[in-house]
Amino acid sequence: MPLFAHGIDDATKVFLEGNEGVSIIPFLYIGAKHMVTGYDHLLFLVGVIFFLYRSKDVLIYVSFFTLGHSLTLLFGVLNDTHVNAYLIDAIIGLSIVYKGFDNLGGFKRMLGYQPNTKAAVLIFGLFHGFGLATKLQEFEFSQDGLVANILAFNAGVELGQFLALAFILLAINYWRRFDSFLRFSTATNALLMSGGMMLVGFQMTGYFVG
Amino acid sequence: MQQTDLPVQSARTLIKATLGAAILAAITLTTIILPAEYNIDPTGIGGALGLTELNTEAVATAVPEQVEREGQEFEYRSDSVIIEVPAGKGLEYKLHLAKHGHMEYEWTAENGQLYLDFHGEPTGDTTGYFESFAIATATEMSGSLTTPFDGSHGWYWKNQSDQAVTITLKTKGFYSVIGLKQ
Repeated sequence: MPLFAHGIDDATKVFLEGNEGVSIIPFLYIGAKHMVTGYDHLLFLVGVIFFLYRSKDVLIYVSFFTLGHSLTLLFGVLNDTHVNAYLIDAIIGLSIVYKGFDNLGGFKRMLGYQPNTKAAVLIFGLFHGFGLATKLQEFEFSQDGLVANILAFNAGVELGQFLALAFILLAINYWRRFDSFLRFSTATNALLMSGGMMLVGFQMTGYFVG
Repeated sequence: MQQTDLPVQSARTLIKATLGAAILAAITLTTIILPAEYNIDPTGIGGALGLTELNTEAVATAVPEQVEREGQEFEYRSDSVIIEVPAGKGLEYKLHLAKHGHMEYEWTAENGQLYLDFHGEPTGDTTGYFESFAIATATEMSGSLTTPFDGSHGWYWKNQSDQAVTITLKTKGFYSVIGLKQ
């Protein structure tokens, strides 16, 4: 099996396929683990909060992201919507490129105005949710207790996101106290774009050869 | 609020950052990520770094056609014979294998099923003793045999139908052919 940007490991797969009925805590845990170890989601979050200095703003933007991916995660699994995992993960890579370029003021420079950043986060949140749904659907887990289990998985995703975000925020807030933050902000966002491009290349190659 | 707080870089910086990002991504993809993840290695660098190993399918250790087995009395050989079992008749086809001799076999019956007894008779035995390895009614069978004793080993096939059945038998291993016994 090709490695997805954040596939679900074998032990988890065995659990998911063997599971019957409602299992809140295991699904919560899988969701959280998925987010904490999902470097593509994390890179996007780094991009989103890079220039957010106030906790209130972080909260608002992360809520938009959460709203977006919760909607499509629930919709995707409940409607059994199958989206090609490579394409979705390539779009997630693209969301990182977008955010990195946006952080450099690229859109404002090119277009003369700033595209709505909250809308962008919401829209990319929707794609990230389809990615999560696709990952969850790769496993034929029981329909018994489906809704409760997806809700638990989604809650776990938020929990994992919150945990990961706490560490990212601590690190970035610490870095902001130094001059190097602004001096290296251009390089950092260029690196972010590069990371996103690598994900796009990685996933599109998988799409064509996988 | 945050909408306008993003520092806007000069066009020159933007181009440099974007091009730099693309070049770095292209280099990393072609030399590291694609070799490691998909075994696609256009530059050969991934292979040199040992990264393509990560994605090489566990290549089944090729079984050499000529198996070196110690202490085999006979030379390694492989044979393919076609045997016709007439309607209502039985016959035997035998190979001579030494003690702990090894062979692999597969046979298929072309146009009907056969009663069979796959067995071995120890050399020098006068009591009529034989050891059956398989008794069945089948249209094909494959497997391997490492014999417990020196002797003739093979098949008794009985055609219980009213038309002739053709068997294609393939064997390879350490034996000599005794052949057909009516």
